[in-house]
Formats: sequence, structure tokens, C-alpha cells
Amino acid sequence: MDLLNAAINLPLSWFYAAFSWAPPVLGLSVISIVVGIGMLWVFGKTSNQVSMKAVKRKVYASLLELRVFADEPAVTWRAQKSLFTANFRYMGLALRPALVMLVPVALLLIHMEAFYVRAPLPLGREAVVTMAVNGAGVTDAELKTPAAVAVETPPVHITEQRQISWRIRPASAGTAQLQFTVGGQPVTKTIATGDGRGFVPGRAVSGALAAVWDPDEKRIPSAAVEWIDVRYPEASIEIFGLHLNWLLWFILVSMAAALLLKKRFGVVL
Amino acid sequence: MRVQWGRPPGLRGSPLTRLAEAGQGAGRGQGRPPHNLYRNVIGWAVFSLLVLLAGCGRHTTQAAGKRMIVLGVDGMDPIFLENHWSSLPNLNRLRTEGDFRRLATTIPPQSPVAWSTVTTGMDPGGHGIYDFVHRNPATRLPMQSMTEITEATKTFSIGPYVFPLAGGGIRQTRAGRAFWQILGEHGIPSNVIRMPANFPPAECEAESLSGMGTPDLTGTNGTFLFFTDDPLETRNGGAAGKLVPVKLQNGRAVLPIEGPPNSLRKDHASTSVNLIMYPDPLNPVARFDLGDQQVVLKQGEWSDWLHADFHLIAFKGASGIFRIYLQQVHPNVRVYVSPVNLDPEDPALPISTPANYSRTLSEKMGPFYTQGIAEETAAYRAGLFSRAEFLSQSHKILADSLRMFHYQLESFREGLLFYYFSSVDQNAHMLWGKHDDDLLEIYKGVDTAVGEAMRAAQNGATLMIISDHGFARFDRSVHLNKVLMDAGFLTLDDPANVGDDAAFVHVDWSKTQAYALGLNAIYLNLEGRENGGSVSGFDKQTVLDEIARKLLAYKDPVNGENVIDKVYFSATAYHGRNLKYAPDILVGFRRGYRASWQTALGAVPKVPLEDNTEAWIGDHCMASDEVPGVLLSNRKIAAGAPGLADIPVTILSGFGLQKTTGMIGQTVF
Repeated sequence: MDLLNAAINLPLSWFYAAFSWAPPVLGLSVISIVVGIGMLWVFGKTSNQVSMKAVKRKVYASLLELRVFADEPAVTWRAQKSLFTANFRYMGLALRPALVMLVPVALLLIHMEAFYVRAPLPLGREAVVTMAVNGAGVTDAELKTPAAVAVETPPVHITEQRQISWRIRPASAGTAQLQFTVGGQPVTKTIATGDGRGFVPGRAVSGALAAVWDPDEKRIPSAAVEWIDVRYPEASIEIFGLHLNWLLWFILVSMAAALLLKKRFGVVL
Repeated sequence: MRVQWGRPPGLRGSPLTRLAEAGQGAGRGQGRPPHNLYRNVIGWAVFSLLVLLAGCGRHTTQAAGKRMIVLGVDGMDPIFLENHWSSLPNLNRLRTEGDFRRLATTIPPQSPVAWSTVTTGMDPGGHGIYDFVHRNPATRLPMQSMTEITEATKTFSIGPYVFPLAGGGIRQTRAGRAFWQILGEHGIPSNVIRMPANFPPAECEAESLSGMGTPDLTGTNGTFLFFTDDPLETRNGGAAGKLVPVKLQNGRAVLPIEGPPNSLRKDHASTSVNLIMYPDPLNPVARFDLGDQQVVLKQGEWSDWLHADFHLIAFKGASGIFRIYLQQVHPNVRVYVSPVNLDPEDPALPISTPANYSRTLSEKMGPFYTQGIAEETAAYRAGLFSRAEFLSQSHKILADSLRMFHYQLESFREGLLFYYFSSVDQNAHMLWGKHDDDLLEIYKGVDTAVGEAMRAAQNGATLMIISDHGFARFDRSVHLNKVLMDAGFLTLDDPANVGDDAAFVHVDWSKTQAYALGLNAIYLNLEGRENGGSVSGFDKQTVLDEIARKLLAYKDPVNGENVIDKVYFSATAYHGRNLKYAPDILVGFRRGYRASWQTALGAVPKVPLEDNTEAWIGDHCMASDEVPGVLLSNRKIAAGAPGLADIPVTILSGFGLQKTTGMIGQTVF
């Protein structure tokens, strides 16, 4: 899992770095266009384009029937039925490309969260670090931080949830390694600080399946730790002074790209 | 510049008509709009721009780069200043380079009254605010003096829900126009931040934020919550707090944070969110979770602001912010939760003009206190806070206020900036005469703001520092209703029924001529005004004179000294005739004496006078001459005895405007 995650993260990091000079919305727009084109191509290759074309003609025909024979109840009823059937057929035909694209697009979106969902910890502002441990008996966790990050409280042991929390406060910008010792074993977690943008790793996990959802860091090697999380502020994309959710912008741009380029690629959508 | 309000030459018909005509032309196969459309559009654009510029020109003419900064420091006392000039370098420099005067306050010298005079230039007879509370003549019960809440007149019900269709709302009761409204009418920009008795904020073009009188989200002046699992804790939260017992189960405690009553439900059921506390089993530290927000606090620490959304109905909630103070973790949990403030980012009630201004401020500087009086005197009075804890919270508020002042000063370009500080007043109430060093630290905080303001005013701007009143010790509590009873003006159904029961529950109104409610007020039980009043209009002045004579002769049995310095009749003390809620007599106590808390709520305790043993040790609700405020300026003050009513006239005059009808003051320069 670590290899797969690294394989996705690495090009994304290069891509992000290439657009580091520009507002984040530009890089996001470019990647959305690329993904939109990619999805269009996959759609064209994995869908039955002939049937797609036929079913769309059927839809248009039904709509025309509805308009022309608006005063003929029997015809209108038949057209409605035909429209309904054609729509279902269309959705059926779109299912295969959708299934093909589901996993890669989902993986991509999960990996993009590290760049667009979380903002680094602001300097001088407190944040809570929480570690979930496996087994109720683990209580001897210790947190050490570099000089740039202060640990402000003793650990809070929450037995009921098998969690241990600390309050930290970053003092300088960049990335820093939080070093934990749990049951004698060293464990690390990377945090991003400062007021810029960049790769902000989310939850670090130990389980292979959990690493699908939280792919930003290598899996925690210690079986005593389930996950380590830092509460980051939420990031947003600024477009013409408006703060938008990055996913909304991604969907809008990728769909627009696909719709605008479908004729050039000869794909029926 | 003279603006020609006719049509621009060469244009006929409305621009919309012309655009429509051109559009039809295009629809008829002309590939592009006709050439004259462009000319017309450009013509209109140029014309609109000229009109806009003319308007802007007119708006900036009056201000013409003039700048005035006024800092309102509630409760800043002239004698305290005179005793501490050496510790207050900026204030000291201001008085030596500029001027310093005592500033006559209002009758009575209470903040809502005094600041309403600063706002309108009228005395209470004009603006109609006489106390923190007024009394309803029909019930003789206290009511809010600064705001009035009305229920919707038309509603629509579905199941348990009720939706207002018409009427209802909250309005300010102060009469008269605010000086910044007048400035706005003459195109002079102003920022008026936290002016007391300005909730909801007066409609105006200025950027304003409401101050004292702004409620918390539950609609009170501020109700804190104090959670503990200590079974031996017997104190309650006092008048402005609630002590809530909690249970620690499985290492966690659920702390219900009370929100506003749900006005969209027929039963007005209260709303709440659950704050979950996880104390560490050994360390004096705890984690608090509220939805997806988490905070870790050590014992003795304050949290930053937490946001809470109180659910009212689908897709609609009321947004609030609050802070937590972890007083103790072991052996018992003790957690203070501040009153839930209106969230400035999405206020449930109007707190600013324009309406989105509070959001703008919040985006620029993060969440801030919106509650009118945020200093937690109530928890200190209830014994739930130590002095150190009270001070730590007070300094947080002062820091919050200084931060906003700094932002305002940075963005101030021209016109007027008014900024209000509450910290001196609230701290003086708890520290006056006993903990002067602590109070001086608060004064020093304000002194830094004065230093900033002096720097900002260096290029010819006028700077004024004003306070609404001074301070005095509050050593002895006067139970005015018992004084009236002993003098034969108030009768109980049974003389044995003296006690702390509020709202005159044992008063025999048929045998009562006068009663006291509020902190300086005595009302006659007047026929035709009070429900079942016993004093006829014919006897009114005779009774008033008799009460005044006896009050002025009244002596403290402990030291034989007079208790009351002055007695004022509202019929003769004021200029205006807005006397609907005016008390008949205003009592001016000597320094050291004040009406008791029981008097304020209509109780008739056993004794007429007793020592004030509360944490609230300083006050100003005395004779006005005893507690003047201050006026400092970077300009020489010509007025020999300036008063609060002079301030708005001076501000208007500073921008070349005359005082308006009802204003009773003169410019001080």
C-alpha cells in the first residue's frame, strides 16, 4: 500500500511544486482539466459508443414526440415511457465506464486532499495531536518535538476511546517531525506549519486498509498505534474573492472540460 | 459642481428600451448590435460615472480630510488619573501637551444614561434612558431600559413549529439621533465601535458595532455556566450564572451548553449542544470535544473561542461562540463556560452596520467578544472566581479590545473614529480602593491605546479621551425602600414581611406613596399612572418635597453622617419632555453609599443600611457631582466646566456642522 500511495503522491507533489508560483486555483484547474480529459478518453474507450449514440437518438426522438404531439395523450404517454426506458438504458451504458473510473478517481481525490483540504498549522496557534492506541493497556506514550514546535500540555489519556492527546504550538514554518515513543517503540508523524500552502499530511495510520483512506504518510510500523492525527485548519480555494470548496471547483472544471472537448475526441456522452 | 439631472444629449428613451430595441435588431439577422448601441452604452456609462463621481465629491466635501478620534473609556476617574500620572505616560503627555478637565456627568451617573447623552447630545429628558432598568407603571416591575422586544403579530403554525409572518423584533428605545447619523447625512464617514446603549445599532451609513446592552445568544446580558462534580459545592451562580452539577462516567463528562430558546417552536424549547470533557486520570489536564473541534487545556487555562451551532429547524441554527476556563481537574472537576456570545461571523441578532460588518471584522481579526459587558464580574461576585481568575479574564477582554482598536486605527483614514473601552469601569467595580495596583494595570492597557491614538492623530487630527463618570468606594448599601418605609412613605401588608423578596410582593399599594426601583430612582405611586396609585396629582409636589426633605436629612446611624447629598426632581432636572419612564426623584448618594442590589429589584429588607460585603466594592451611582468623568484632548479646552452633552456638539462642530434640535451642549474648544 505504501508503494501505491507513494506512486500517486510523488507525481502529485511534482505537479503541485510546478505550480507553486501560482494561486492554488490555477494548479487545481489544470489538474481538473487533465482529469476531465482523462475521464472523457476512458469513457470513450470503455463505453459502447454505438449503443450510446442510439440511445441518445431515442431520447431526442421521445422529447420531440412529446413536443409535437402534446395534444395526443396516447402518443405522449408512449413517448414518456420511451424516454424513461431510454434514460435507464443510458445509465446502464454509463455504468461500465463509471465503474472503471471509480477507483482511480477516488484514489486521486483522496490523495489530493493533502494539497487542497488542509491548511498548515498557523504559527503561534495551538493544535491538538491525538494518538489512538491498540489495546487499553498502552499508556506510556511520550511526545518529543523539534524546537520549532512546543508541546504545551502533559498527555490527556482518554481510556474510553484508547486515545492520548497533547496540545502543540508551532513557532516556525515548514515541516516538522513529531517523535513519539509508545511501548518503547519510536513512531513519527509529519506536520506542516506556516501560512503558505503545500502538502499537509493528514492522519498517519498503521493498518493497510486504513492507508487507502489516509495515504499521506508511510504506515506506522508499530502495532501498538492505530493512528495519529493532527487537527488542521480547513483550506479553501479563492476564486475572484470567493472561498469555494476545492471539490466543487474540481467537479465543475473537469466536467466542463469533458463536455467542451467531447466532439474533438469523438466521444458521445 | 452642478449636476444636470436631465438626459445626456443624444439619448432618447430609457437605456433598457434602447438595449431591447437594439437586441431586436440583432435578432433580425444583424450579426452584431448596431454601432449606435455601443455609443449609447458608452454614453450611459460615462454619464453614470460622472453622476457617481459627483456624488462621491459631494460626500467627501464635508469631511475634506478632517479626522477626529474619540476614545470612550467607561469609568475613567479624574482622581485616579491625578494620582497615577507617572505610571500613565501617554495620558500624562496628552494632558501636558493638550488639556485635561473633569467632565460633568448625567443625572443619574449611570453608563446607559451617560452614553446616550454622548450619543444624542440630549439629557435623559430628551433621549429617555434613565437607568439600566425602567419600571412598568402598570406592574411596578423592572423592564429593560435600552431595548424593547415585541412578539410577531402574525404567525403561521405547522405542528410544533410557529413561523413569524409579520411584526415582532427588537428595537432600541433611545430617542434622538445619534451624532454619527448626522455625520452620515452630511457625507462624513465614521466608525463607531461598541458605543453603549446602541443595540440594535442605529441605522446609519457608518460602520458601527454595538456595545453595552448587546445580549448573549440566550438573550440575557450574559449568563455563564459553571460545571462541577463536587457534591459539596453549594454556591449558585448568582444572578448571571448557573451552577450545573455533572457526573464523570467512563472518564468523561457531558457538559450541556445552553443556547437560545427556540423561537420557531411553540413551546420555545431551549436549545443546547453537548461539550464533552475528558479529564486525564492523573494529570491536571483535560480535552474538550465539541463536534469536530477539540481543545486541550491545563488546569488554570482558558481556551480560544469555540463555535457552536444551536439547531432551531432544518437548515437553520443560531451560531454562537464561547470560551472555556478549566479551573480544576482533581479531585473534582470545575469548569467555567463563558456566556455564549453572538457569533460575529453569523450573528443571530443585528450587532453592526452594515449588517455584514461584524463578519468582516471577524474575518480580519478572528472571533471577538460581542456581549455588551463581557467582564466576568458575576462569577467573581458569586465566589466561583478568585480575584486572579477575574483579572485573567479581564485582561483577555482588554487584549481583545486593544487588538480591535489597533485594527480600527490602522484602517482609519478620515472622518470620525469612536472607540469604547469597558475594562476600566468593570475592573473598578471590583478593585476600587482596595486593589489599586491591579486597577492600574488596566489603566496602563488603555494608556497604550491612547499612545497609539496620539501617534495616529499627529497629522492634525483632533483626539479626545472621554469617560462617562468617575468612581467611588461602595462601602454602605442603602435599602431605599426600607428608608421610605421607615419614613412612612411605603407600607407592607405586614411589617414583619421585610426581607429580600423582590418585586414588592408584600407592599400594600393602597397605603404606599412612593417606592424605589433601580439604582437611583424613586417613583411616586401616582394616581392615573401607577395601577391603583394612591397619590393624587394635586398632592404630588407636596409628597415629593416631603420625601426630598427626609432623604436629605437622613443620617447613617453608624457614623451620624448624611447618606444623601442631592435629590433631583425629574420634572425640573431635565431639558426635554421625554419623561414617560422618568423616576419622580433621583437620589444622589454621598460617596461611599449606593442603593442596595435589593433596592434595584424592589425588595424591602429588614434594615435601612448595611455594610457592603460583596466583591463589588466600587461604584458611581451616586450624586453626579461626586463622580465626574474626564476629558483629555490634544487641543486646548476652552470650556471651563464641560459636560457629556458637549461631546457630540464638539464632534459635529469639528466637521463644520451645527448642533441639531434638542442638543443642549456647546463645543468644548
